Amino acid sequence: MTTTETAPPVLEAEDVAVHYGGIKAVDGFGLRLPAGRIYGILGPNGSGKSTFLAAVTRLVPLTRGRLLIDGEEYHTAPPTKLARRGLARTFQTVRLLPELTVLQNVQLGADLHAPGGRLRSWLGRDRPSEAVEEAIERTGLGDVRDAWPTELSYGMARRVEIARALASRPRLLLLDEPTAGMNHSERQEVSELMRKLRDEGLAQLIVEHDVQMMVDTCDHLVAMNSGTLVAEGSPQEVVSHPAVQEAYLGKRWRSHA
Amino acid sequence: MIGWYEANLVLIEATFLNFLLALSIQVPLRLGVFSFAGVGSYGLGAYTAAILTLRYDVPAFVAIGAAVLLAAVVGYLFSLLVARLNGLYLAMATIAFVLIIAVLATNGGELTGGANGLYGALSDLTTGGVVAVCVVVAVLLALTERGPLRRRIEAVREDPELSLSMGIGVVPMRQMAFAVSGALGACAGAMNALLRTTVSPEEINFHLIVLALTMVIIGGSRSWIGAFIGSVIFTWLPSVLASAGRWQDVVYGVIIILAAIFMPTGLLGLVQTLYQKLRGRRSAAVTAEAPADDTAEERALLQALGGESRGGVQ
Amino acid sequence: MLEILINAVTLGSLYLLFALGMSVAWGTIGILNFAHGSTFMFSAMVAYFVVQTVALPMWAMVLLGAAVGTVLSVLTQALVFNLILRRNPDLLKAEMQIVVGGIGTASVLLAIAQHYTKSVPFGFSASTFKVATYQLGPVHISNVQLVILVAALGLAGLAAWWLKSARAGLALRAIGVNPEVASLMGVDRSRMALGTMAAAGALAGIAGVLLTYYLGSIAAETGDSFLISAFAAIILGGIGSVAGVVTGSMILALAETLVVTQLSGTWASAVAFGLIFVVLLFLPRGIFGRKEVRRT
Repeated sequence: MTTTETAPPVLEAEDVAVHYGGIKAVDGFGLRLPAGRIYGILGPNGSGKSTFLAAVTRLVPLTRGRLLIDGEEYHTAPPTKLARRGLARTFQTVRLLPELTVLQNVQLGADLHAPGGRLRSWLGRDRPSEAVEEAIERTGLGDVRDAWPTELSYGMARRVEIARALASRPRLLLLDEPTAGMNHSERQEVSELMRKLRDEGLAQLIVEHDVQMMVDTCDHLVAMNSGTLVAEGSPQEVVSHPAVQEAYLGKRWRSHA
Repeated sequence: MIGWYEANLVLIEATFLNFLLALSIQVPLRLGVFSFAGVGSYGLGAYTAAILTLRYDVPAFVAIGAAVLLAAVVGYLFSLLVARLNGLYLAMATIAFVLIIAVLATNGGELTGGANGLYGALSDLTTGGVVAVCVVVAVLLALTERGPLRRRIEAVREDPELSLSMGIGVVPMRQMAFAVSGALGACAGAMNALLRTTVSPEEINFHLIVLALTMVIIGGSRSWIGAFIGSVIFTWLPSVLASAGRWQDVVYGVIIILAAIFMPTGLLGLVQTLYQKLRGRRSAAVTAEAPADDTAEERALLQALGGESRGGVQ
Repeated sequence: MLEILINAVTLGSLYLLFALGMSVAWGTIGILNFAHGSTFMFSAMVAYFVVQTVALPMWAMVLLGAAVGTVLSVLTQALVFNLILRRNPDLLKAEMQIVVGGIGTASVLLAIAQHYTKSVPFGFSASTFKVATYQLGPVHISNVQLVILVAALGLAGLAAWWLKSARAGLALRAIGVNPEVASLMGVDRSRMALGTMAAAGALAGIAGVLLTYYLGSIAAETGDSFLISAFAAIILGGIGSVAGVVTGSMILALAETLVVTQLSGTWASAVAFGLIFVVLLFLPRGIFGRKEVRRT
């Protein structure tokens, strides 16, 4: 890892605010995520994490602030443009298409970069691309590639989500609770995969409830409460920060420690 | 065989025309758009073709082509108009569109022949021509049911938000569906008007909407094959049910109810499920309990407050 | 002129009686019942066959219509909509199935009615009730019109009060706003749904009988044409809002009456469709509609 914090960040969010009527779901939050790093956002329920992710992916409009990918502003671009700029995400709940197989779901992620003209990609033969095969391989889905989403365990379904995101060969990956519903060994595997991807230069931003997993996986944590920044720094620093313990971790973290 | 063919020529032609009409409802449905505008396009196409044939005596393919083009453009413009609507609201607006076309036809004076409609639109359209058009349409639609295009369509229907984050333009896809639906509906209407040489405003009514919808729902809403099954059933059912005598309409209604309850994916879906079961593909589903959605409140808030901006999917 | 106004208000009251139950069911339990029109017509038809054998007074006919409407509506809910929802709990995905199920139910009821009435219009001339017209200052108003006005406003008031104050109303509105939260609150959804549909059916039955008294006779097909008008009234006022249905019904009736008297009969049917269209485009939530909170 040669990247330093001074290198141009892949994702930059400055003073982001999302207000709904009088409710300030996010109010002046920001971060700078460099390539090859994993950042995590901590925060209690309703602290604005998910809204922030929705804002970063342009699914909700910003009330205020700037968003940049590789130094280029995109907070007025439509959400459909983001995938082409290398942004991929997973969702908090599993969102697989029920009438497509695992393989087809993953292929959806790669369709964006299908070779040849549009017509050829629609009419031509439909072999899974290299990116698709690689994503399936890396997430360990080889055995279930022809299964239907309803046949998968919850943890497996979450892996398909990750594979779908990876199939687009992103430069920036947003993971919304990637290990929720997984058992211990599955969590370990996902954490390992994320670290491997980091070493290959992928920038990742995670929202996750499992604090232990966050500490093990992330390079940098950002704590959020009531839509604003509470603390920021290395995982150890942040989880031991009094305001963070107060606002979010409480007894839960101390009992872990 | 030839005797049977000639005796049933009207029903055979009607099967293919109903097939196109059903497709005009099915295409938007496959993209999650609950629109009956295709039935309005049926009327638009029928009148366009009849007027062109009566006034300018153009060949059938010109009359049909013009009708299809006009209805596709009208369908596209209509989609811009109703861009903010969804679900049943959209369905209602499209029903209104259909019935307004009928009222316009009734009040169109000399151009549309008023309540009596138009007569004597003789043209060179043959049954073979109708079948050829249907084959071309079926092949084109089959191409949308495989590969990347199928995945895009599935994504737009099942999860517009996911589609956006995958870089799929939901709005253009839906606008395209309106245009295609208009073209298909107009094609059916135009060919019907030319084969029967007449068109009248009474044809474009609520029952035509019901027929188109039931054909798709009962045949299957995911594939052109479903639409074809539906059109065969509902074109021939009345003559089959004639043996049920006075109760044929009751039986017809009961069949629709049973299909709505027990065949949510239509006959085609039922056959596919059975086939998969036979092959043992759908083994016991092992879907684990999803963990509690721990930011449910936040999501509810998003939906409640962001619902308006998401409603139209910008 | 005043008479035209009174006729319009009577028509509006009939729309109101018809649309009220439909609107409440749509706005709360999320079920748009396409068989509502047939329920309305069928109730009047049953009352007609009963009155052919026993000469009943008007109040008994209205009660009979309400009872038949309730039974039909409850049966539709239990045998059609509930079965659809049980197999497909996601209301939004089941929406189309419900529409189709309603259409099927409507065609069964219509076919039975056409069979028994031989598609000939029927009326309540055998009832003991006799139409009388009063002179109130400058206007003529019939006793049927008075009954319709009182029934419509009284029942609308009752529905509004019920939705606003009663426990049941709270639970219903909770379902309308957020079904998940409602079930967390311990609201028994299928029981509430059955109750709502029963009330909606009763309203349809009352409307059917009163319309028959007012027009003298109706036909099996009358139900369908009311359905489109009711959609217009509901969408115009805002789904699920009683004040909305009242306003929507009255505006629709006034507009239709105006077009018929000023323009021509053939354009009258365009009024309802045109209103649906214009309202959806410029006022998608209707005049009194609350914010749409259901998922897209």
